[in-house]
Amino acid sequence: MIKKFILLIAVSLGLGLMARRIGLSPHQALAIAIFSASVLGTLFFWDFRLGFVFIGTSILLITRTIDLENVIKFASLEVILFLVGMMVIVGLLKEAGFFAWIVQLILRVRNLTGRKFVIIIAFVSAILSTMTSEVVSIIFMVAAVLEISDYFEVDPVPFIIITIMATNIGSAATVLGNPIGILIASKSGFTFEDFIVKAFPLSMICLAVTVLLLLIWYRKAIKQMDEHIKKLGANEMLVKLISVPPDKELKIALAVFGVTLFFISLHHRLELLWGLEPNTILLTMPLLSSGAVMIWKWRRAREYIEKDVEWWTLLFFMLLFAQAGALKFTGATDVLAGRLSGSANNSVFALTGIVLWISSIGSSLLDNVVLVAAFIPVIQSFHSLSSSLHPLWWALLFGGCFGGNITLVGSTANIVALGILEKEKNIRMTFFRWFGVGITVGIVTTVIVWMALLFMPIYR
Amino acid sequence: MKVKEIMTREVTSLSPELTVQEALGLLAKMEISGLPVIDLNGKLVGMFTEKEALEYILPSYISKVGRFIYEENPKSIKNKFSEMNKMKVSELMRKDVITTLEETTLCEVARIMLTQRSRRLPVLDKTGSVVGIVARSDILAALASEAETAK
Repeated sequence: MIKKFILLIAVSLGLGLMARRIGLSPHQALAIAIFSASVLGTLFFWDFRLGFVFIGTSILLITRTIDLENVIKFASLEVILFLVGMMVIVGLLKEAGFFAWIVQLILRVRNLTGRKFVIIIAFVSAILSTMTSEVVSIIFMVAAVLEISDYFEVDPVPFIIITIMATNIGSAATVLGNPIGILIASKSGFTFEDFIVKAFPLSMICLAVTVLLLLIWYRKAIKQMDEHIKKLGANEMLVKLISVPPDKELKIALAVFGVTLFFISLHHRLELLWGLEPNTILLTMPLLSSGAVMIWKWRRAREYIEKDVEWWTLLFFMLLFAQAGALKFTGATDVLAGRLSGSANNSVFALTGIVLWISSIGSSLLDNVVLVAAFIPVIQSFHSLSSSLHPLWWALLFGGCFGGNITLVGSTANIVALGILEKEKNIRMTFFRWFGVGITVGIVTTVIVWMALLFMPIYR
Repeated sequence: MKVKEIMTREVTSLSPELTVQEALGLLAKMEISGLPVIDLNGKLVGMFTEKEALEYILPSYISKVGRFIYEENPKSIKNKFSEMNKMKVSELMRKDVITTLEETTLCEVARIMLTQRSRRLPVLDKTGSVVGIVARSDILAALASEAETAK
């Protein structure tokens, strides 16, 4: 612990000093040192991360590296409020039995085979994470996979891995799947439609390729499942396992969710129609719906806000964004962006590859929000480049989501799912058991994205 | 009124080496929900209650999944139950035990029970060894008799 702490201080100080040496101002160097301390803090001291960013941001303010006005501006309340609204709605869905309903649909599949099971859990995981955020959907998918593999007495590990990977891939498909989706949308100017037209199909292609790959990778486990299905008979027992609670509430919850999704998906058109600022509808829709939910269920409103909203994470995000903002405010990222684009000969073509691979590899080790928060001001500083920055934003989104598949700590979904696996089955995933399949899927999907971003005009 | 005036002095406790099956049997026989776990040196090392057992056999994600109603008990419960029965009390018990001291007042103990949601608290002396145990029912009984005499 103390060793890690010393390492953290040494690395952040070292980075700060190095920044000074290559000619950055003291404020720029301090902003770099503090941001890297927060980043390393998430790596070494996950439980202390909030304490770290509180202190770091305070130091930035006291040393006048950034002013209060800009801390508030960069904290991106719009992103935070969007996430709060969505978390309340997902809380309602959870309570109303939406996820139980989905899981039960999977359990009901007729004439189950190993291959069918893999394909279903992969696509349901991806779609669910795309609509409701990966952190929530993964819990239910893992629950479903564990029930089914228990029932057929097969090793759950391959199927859990498939679920996690599909969840991570699906999380890139819309602004709802991953906090970095809304973050990128709000900073890049991409609309929900942009995501549906550009991110969704590419995610689904990557998912299909991943499923094919995993069907081959886990062919033995799938074959074994087939044998057990034959031996134990169909999944009739499973059908009876989970029931969905009284459906009136579920219907209302589904309606609320549907209306929210509908308006979110049309936000850009509505904003144009009504002459609103960009993203007004996108950001207010979850607030409107969750506001209505809190009036409808006023007795439980407090619980939604206190339990379903992850304040710990959201506060961390706000202050982390503020610290990343300090990088931009002091001009540190302009320097970095200048060097990066210089080394890439000012070509967006080359920069796309750099951003994609750095964010993919980076997010396999770091929390992807941390990484994206750091990259946003850098990409914004590329504005001097003549061509469009769109491919860079997409590279950041896909790298940040798909990189999560490379290592077992690559994304929150991995950590949540493997935590459940360990608690429920006493199975501790080892780094290398994950890494073999993780790096294969990570590289293949990142290469697909890379090629698409380079050669398909739609992404320019 | 102080805790030492109302606590039960003869404390039945569990040994950390006992199996969970034996411990649950004892709880059932005594018709109570939990007992302190005390090691050979007389040190309080944990608290074993029915809650820990239930938490172990139910899926760990059950509190996070909202309404996720199992119509039939999942297969895993049976396996987990037999697994649990073989475990030692020390593996399942809650290790950070909320305790109280002999000199603590009644209202303070009641407050701890309410805020920490515990049913019974081991009572420690200054050296840290268990000298008694106080349950919600003891407090209620004491308060009731006080109200009686006041009449």
